[in-house]
Amino acid sequence: MMENSNPMIKITNVHKVFNKKLHVLCGIDLEVNSGETIVILGPSGSGKSTLLRCINLLEEPTAGSIEVDGTIIHAGENSKQRDAQILDIRKKTGMCFQSFNLFPHMTVLENIIEGPVTVLKQQKNEAIPYAEELLDWVGLTEKRDEHPSRLSGGQQQRVAIARSLAMKPAVMLFDEPTSALDPELIGEVVDVMERLAKEGMTIIAVTHEMHFARDVADRVLIMEQGVWLEEGTPEQIFSHPKHQRTRQFLTHILQ
Amino acid sequence: MENTTTDQQTPIILSRIPPEAEATLHGIEVKKTRYRRNLIIAFAVLITLMVATLIIIGLDFKFMIKWVPFILTGIGYTLLVSFLAISLACFLSVAGALGRLSLNPVLNSIATSYVSLVRGTPLLVQVYMWYIALPQIGKSLEDLGITGVQALFTLPAIPAGILALGVCYGAYMTETVRAGIQSIKIGQIEAAKALGMTNSQAMRRIIFPQAVRVIIPPVSNEFIAMIKDSSLVSLMGVWELSFRAIKIGRRHFQSLEMLIMVAMIYWVMCFILQLVQEKIETHMARGDRGTS
Repeated sequence: MMENSNPMIKITNVHKVFNKKLHVLCGIDLEVNSGETIVILGPSGSGKSTLLRCINLLEEPTAGSIEVDGTIIHAGENSKQRDAQILDIRKKTGMCFQSFNLFPHMTVLENIIEGPVTVLKQQKNEAIPYAEELLDWVGLTEKRDEHPSRLSGGQQQRVAIARSLAMKPAVMLFDEPTSALDPELIGEVVDVMERLAKEGMTIIAVTHEMHFARDVADRVLIMEQGVWLEEGTPEQIFSHPKHQRTRQFLTHILQ
Repeated sequence: MENTTTDQQTPIILSRIPPEAEATLHGIEVKKTRYRRNLIIAFAVLITLMVATLIIIGLDFKFMIKWVPFILTGIGYTLLVSFLAISLACFLSVAGALGRLSLNPVLNSIATSYVSLVRGTPLLVQVYMWYIALPQIGKSLEDLGITGVQALFTLPAIPAGILALGVCYGAYMTETVRAGIQSIKIGQIEAAKALGMTNSQAMRRIIFPQAVRVIIPPVSNEFIAMIKDSSLVSLMGVWELSFRAIKIGRRHFQSLEMLIMVAMIYWVMCFILQLVQEKIETHMARGDRGTS
């Protein structure tokens, strides 16, 4: 891993207000280094997903700035390059959703090459070999020509991960990737995420998978009501939480 | 909810079904067969009754057969007007739907007023507008000093009919297309955006192809309605199907024969379209039927 003095992601004083009054994020700062795996925990409604969606600008932050791999966006700024910068950040950022959101009218392979072909303007036959490689990597080579509706939830999420990786992103964002899955299918998705972390991908995951948070994450952050409650290594957070609220929350989700 | 099918469908092992269950299954099968048989009988009786009625009232079949070729020559106009008008309507409806969903105030207001105005006025009035009233607008403009407008605005019957039908159906279909686009889950747009697609790429590659599946049945409906509404161009003296039938019927005082015949011709055309629609639907549905 190349040592990089600049962080891969730098979030500075980000606020998000919905409908003029719902203050979801209240001045969030976060720096993530290249190759780091971050897990964000917190009670539902605390703003974890909103923060993740602000990073790739699916939500426009109300204040603050977002920097991903050298591209910086300031909230409320209106410049000509802004739209292009947003697209640039999205190309560098892969995102996996709770509900997979595969394109149902396309086969698995078509889903994976869609980004490279439409966004990166690659030729189909140029994009296919890498797509097949990714498909093999997530263990779904035999599903290449199936439509998503024929796959289980776990398989769909693995295809969704491959679809994001086809863009060769610098960062992967996981927004509760296992929450919509039947318990017996969670393992296969977490396994893929774990391998991705081991291969040096920069990852920010919102997940309640304790195994992933404890054993794979480099850092765990707890969010509550739009601010960071606590931050530390998994060891610190799980064994010696500083705050009473953190302890309460952890006992709640660990039982 | 997203579906959660397992990798392979587990094969059902037939030998485990107990005999009393076999009897129930057999009963269900018998009921199904009986229903199908009765349905066929009902249809057969209905058709026989209709044919018998036509014979009893002394319908002149020879007269009908004699004029079939003449009436059928009008089918060309009917199909020409319908196909061109539906093409225009398709184009207008996609543009209209994008306008209705647009955040641009100019485009949005144009699309919204188009739908409201055209849907809120009778097609009959619109047909006359295009045919009789438009030249008057041309004349007024000509009087204001814009030369050549009157000739441009004076339309022959067929183009006027195509415009009237196309613009009218375009307005109805705008709402169909808009609803189709809006029926696609927000997650699809977000997934497309997360890949770095622009709005127009997401619309073309992800949203629209999915919306098309949703709107095929209602659009086929519109097309079938249009085939029949194309008879309105007979108001402008175009020798299409119904115009011919009505003329001949009146001339020989045998309107009943002619009207029944032309009704059957329309029905056969619409029946064929219905079959085409079903084909397209099955074709489109491949892949995403499953459990979703």
